[in-house]
Parts: sequence; structure tokens; C-alpha cells
Amino acid sequence: MSAEILENLKKAITGYDRERAADWARKAVQEGIDPIKALDVMTVAIRQIGDGFGKGELWLPDLVGAAAAMTAATPIIEEEIKRVGAKRESLGTVVIGTVYGDIHTIGKTMVASLLTADGFAVKDLGINVTAESFVKGINEYRADILAMSALMTTTAPEQRKVIEALKKEGIRDTVKIMVGGGAITQEFADSIGADGYDPTAPGAVELARRLVGTQRRK
Amino acid sequence: MAGKGFTRNFRPLEILTEEEVEAIHRGMLEVLWVTGVRMEHERALKLLERNGCKVDHDEMRVRIPSAVVEECLRKTPSSFHAPARDSKNSLMVGGNTLCLAVAPGNHTVDLDTWEPRPATRKENYEGVTILDALPTVHFFSPYTPYFGFKDVPPCMAMLESLAARIRNSTKFQCVGFSNDSEVFAIKMAQAVGIEILGTCAFAPPLTVYRDAVESAFRFAEAGLPLRIISGQVMGGTAPATIAGGIVTNNAEVIAGLVLAQLINSGTRILVKDFSASVNMRSGAPAFGGIEICLHNAASNQIFQKYGVPIDDTTAYPNSKMPDYQSSYEKAFRILTAGLSGANTLLFHGSVHGELTHHPIQAILDDDSAGMVGRFMEGFAVNDETLAVDLIEKVGPIPGHFLDKAHTRKWWKSEQFLPKVADRLTYPEWMNKGKKVCLDYARERMEDILTTHKPTPLTPGQEGDVERILEEARKFYKDRGLITGEEMATYRKSMKSPHYPYE
Repeated sequence: MSAEILENLKKAITGYDRERAADWARKAVQEGIDPIKALDVMTVAIRQIGDGFGKGELWLPDLVGAAAAMTAATPIIEEEIKRVGAKRESLGTVVIGTVYGDIHTIGKTMVASLLTADGFAVKDLGINVTAESFVKGINEYRADILAMSALMTTTAPEQRKVIEALKKEGIRDTVKIMVGGGAITQEFADSIGADGYDPTAPGAVELARRLVGTQRRK
Repeated sequence: MAGKGFTRNFRPLEILTEEEVEAIHRGMLEVLWVTGVRMEHERALKLLERNGCKVDHDEMRVRIPSAVVEECLRKTPSSFHAPARDSKNSLMVGGNTLCLAVAPGNHTVDLDTWEPRPATRKENYEGVTILDALPTVHFFSPYTPYFGFKDVPPCMAMLESLAARIRNSTKFQCVGFSNDSEVFAIKMAQAVGIEILGTCAFAPPLTVYRDAVESAFRFAEAGLPLRIISGQVMGGTAPATIAGGIVTNNAEVIAGLVLAQLINSGTRILVKDFSASVNMRSGAPAFGGIEICLHNAASNQIFQKYGVPIDDTTAYPNSKMPDYQSSYEKAFRILTAGLSGANTLLFHGSVHGELTHHPIQAILDDDSAGMVGRFMEGFAVNDETLAVDLIEKVGPIPGHFLDKAHTRKWWKSEQFLPKVADRLTYPEWMNKGKKVCLDYARERMEDILTTHKPTPLTPGQEGDVERILEEARKFYKDRGLITGEEMATYRKSMKSPHYPYE
């Protein structure tokens, strides 16, 4: 029974099915399946998709679709982990968003999906995110990494503002900060005191791993 | 009459059946009424509400009934006058004409490595000079040639760009909006005594932010023409299907059109169908795709039916340098625009997407634009051109046509002569260093920079432009959008003895 539930949970993720992923996650909880085990199965499923994308066999809608299914199931399992007082292993928690004034979503969503697929716990704050919301998100989710996107030269300076806000709150040193987006360059990232920049989404995953001190998964 | 745009002397291509046009129209009407549009601007929402639209103020959502949509479409002029600084460059936008404009790029490219880098002030001004000289550039689009240039803070990019274009070109100008830049742009235009085309840009799907609506108010209230654009990527910010993409795009730009007509009835409007698909590998817009041509051919047909001037998707190639790929990607774009009912197309100079632009590319594009313009003209069919009498006179071999007055009279108007294409024979080509079009384009660029002297502003106009720029600099400094460090670099760059040109 439990094997069947876990298999269905996995299939829901590799089948890009949000509703079924949430349903099977709830069933897993109801049946008293070890939530850590459930999360492991989900991680295997999402990594399978991530690998397929990396190999060029799967495409962006597959990756984002699977990440969305994963995101639908994760809170249900996480709540159970909390309830039973178990400890989950994740590569780290990433709070991600596109900065205030900027409404470009695709690049940020792609990075969030790939980070999810790699085993990070990702909290996507969305687009047009104010400095205050980033601060709140970092505190609420106890983020290891803050990832910010800006696509326009006019919104790039907002990344500086967020970093300033973090300093003001005294939490700058609690997170690693990575920046990206069409308007960002390495020079800009250095000038605002970010910890890392990469021009591509797969590169952003490598960067996130470096920032949390984990080697790339083979 | 390249300066006035190209006239399409044939019925535009119609790729949709009447039923399909009607189905897309009804889809757009349904979306505008059932789903509506999120418009983050209270004054606009109140105006729409007073005119029969249903408004949810908490959600900032407006639902527009069909009757209002169709009435506003009727109010929109089918063609409009776009006056330039020099009246010989003024345009009538709409009907069966195609006017071409500059396609912007964020940066320039290095001609040896083809890598992107920021343009300098001098390169920006020289870029404008070259575009001013190219006969197939009929007008300038916002922040062209470059989004900005070295030492200029981002918030001043739009205005510095407009100032450069007003100074170094007498062609018609279009501007964008960013942090209220349009207030100063309108002031600058009024001071110089010209009209400019403004922009209101939606954020797909079905959203328009405050800045864009504010820009619509400012241009429509000033009695200036307005370009309404969206900018969807199919599969990302619009359905992956072309038909669905057209429905959402049209719902967006027509919501903007309705707003503009309610602000000021009869406002001159240019709607834009700016579409691409998502590159499902990188997430970036897949510019250069042939599906964009299908999308635009259909949109052009629909807006021709509405009698509303339409701006085609900008001809952005995906290649990184002028090469085989870049040529076919740009050629498909402009040929589709030419064949179907597009009224304007941003074409010249884009190298890779909207990221880079170079005058060399614009010079190459001047030739392909000329070719499409020539195609659109078509050819005359009458007794003289049929030449039956002449054919009888020449007869079979050894007769020929090369020495005939008829040939001397007609060949130059029948043939299009590209300026930088390689048309040499093999021996000539080998003897002359195996030059390709890119080499000729570079020579033409040098030639233009030596010989073309843009008509300068009068000292009074020049003073006004600089005064308004200075006003804007202070405004943005006070607003905290220019840091002390940025201002110091900016001021230092202005101390050049050749300011503002280098």
C-alpha cells in the first residue's frame, strides 16, 4: 500500500500533475508513511526531470510543470515532518524573486524550478517584490540563499536597495546573495556586494551549490 | 518615395478565412468582458467605469463590454499624420503603407569579436547620423539605436536617446516611458516644435501597470499619437497557440486603445503586435521564429479589417552577427510585414534580439528593406511595359534589347540596385580582395560618417533641449534615482569639448 502511494506520488510529479501530487501527498500522510521517505521519493522524481532537462530530452514546460507539482505536494509533507518532529535534509532554503518594479517572471521561475529539481527548498516570492518583502521572506523561511532577478537596467539598482535593507536589518551576513537577469553583469554584482552571479539558469544552480558549500551532484 | 514609407500596390496577404477573423474577434471580446484586464491606475478605472465598463476596484480589474470596444475601434483613425522635424520626412501611418523604423539594441557589438559592449556617447550619436542617412529608415523608435550609452544613468537613458535623435535626425520620433521620462520627452518635443509618438506598454498576460497608463494619459491628453504595445511570449506570458496568442495580445492592446479613446476621442493610435515564442530551452524569447510571421500575418489582416494602424513584431534575429541565419530571420520578418497588412516595422540595425544593435547591420538592412519596398511597389502592366511592338521589332537572335531606348527608360525603375551586396563576377571578386557585403557595409558606414551632415537644431532649439535635459537630471537626482557617484561620472562625461556629440 505504502509503496503504491509513493509510486503514485512520484508519477504525479514526473507526470506534471499538481492536483494528483497534492492528493497523493495527503494520502501518504493519512496512511502514516514516513514523511522523510515521501520527500525522498519526490526528490528522486524531480531530479529525474531535472536530469532530463539537463540532457536536452525534456523542455522548459516539463521542468516548470514538474516543479509546480513538487511545490504543490511539498508543504503537505513538510507539515507532517514538522508534526512528527523529524529532520529533513535539503541542500538549503532559497528565497527567490524578481525585484520591485520588474515584472519579468520566466527567468526567475526557470531558476526556481531548476533549484527545486536539484534538491533545494525554494520559496518563490514572485515578481515585483519589495525590499521589505525580501527581508520578511528571509526571516520567515530562514533562508540560506537569497536569489534576485532583474531584467531591466532601470530595475537592476533595486538589487542594491535590497542588499542595503538587509544590512540595515542586520541580516546581510545570514544569507548568501545571488543575482541574475538580463540587466545584470558580474561587475554589477560585485559593485552591489552580491556573493555570486551567473548568466544562465543551470549556472545559477551550480552557483547555489557553491554558495552553500556543496559539490555538484554527479 | 522611400521617405514616405512603402506603398503596397496589391491586396495584402490574407491567411485567415473570414470565419477565423470573426472567431478571433469574438475571442478577444469575450476575454475583455469575462476575464477583463488588470489596470493599476485608479483614474483610468474610474474613467472606464463612467463609460460603461464594469470595474472591480479592489482587484483593479476592468471588464469592457463589446459595445464600448467596437465603438472605440470605430473612433480610431485608420491613418494618421506623423509630422517630422523636416516635413519631407513626415509620414502618413496606416492604410496600405509600410513605414520602417530602427530596431533598438541594449548594447553595440565589437566588430572583431562580435561580443556585446556598452556604446559610447560618440557611437550613439554617430549611429543616429547613419540612420538619418539611410533612406529606408522612415522613423525612429524609442531608445534607438541604443537603450543607453556610457556614463549616462539608466533613468536618463530614454531622454538622452531622444535628445540625440532630435539633434542628429530630422525624421519622426517615437518614445517610450520610464520613471515619468515622457513628461520631459513631451516638453522637449514641444520646445523644438515637433510631435512625437508615445508608448503605453501592457505586461502580458492582461495587465497594465501605473507607469504605462500614466504615459497613455499624458500623450492622449496632449493630443499626441500613441503606440500601444504588449509583448507576449507564447507559451510563457500567452497561450502557446498562435490563435490564443493573438486573442490575448489583441485583448491587451485593444484595452489600451479603448482607454486612449476615452481619454481623448480620436487619438491617433498605432497598436503593436509584438510577439515571440518561448525558447523552451533557455526561457528567453525565441526571436526569429517563423511562427512569429504567422502570428503577425494574421494580426495584420485583423487590424486592416478594424482599420487601425498596426506595428509588426520587431525584426529581432537570434544570431549573434550578420550571417546566414540573421539574414533569413530578418528577411522572413520584413517580407511577411510587406506582404501582409503591416503599417510599421522596427527593422534596422538589430544584431541579436533586443540586446545588440550596430550601424553595419542597419546598412545591410537598408538593402533588404529596399528590396521589399521594391517588391511592394509591384510593376506596371500597360502597352508600353508589355512592349509587344518592341518585341516584334527586335525579333529572334541576333536581335537584343540592350541598345533600346525602352531599356534605358525602364531598367532602373524595374530593377532594385542594392548598395552593399556583392554582385561581382568571380574574377572581379578575386581581384578585389574577395570582399563580402559586410566589407562593403563598413565602407558605406565610413562614407556616410564623412559625407552626411544632419540638419542641426537652431541655437534656440538646442538651448531648449539641453535645458530640459538638465531639468530631468535634477528631477531624478532629487528622486534618488541618480547616485552621487553616477552623477559625478555623468557630469565628467559632459565636460568633453565635443559634448553632446562625444
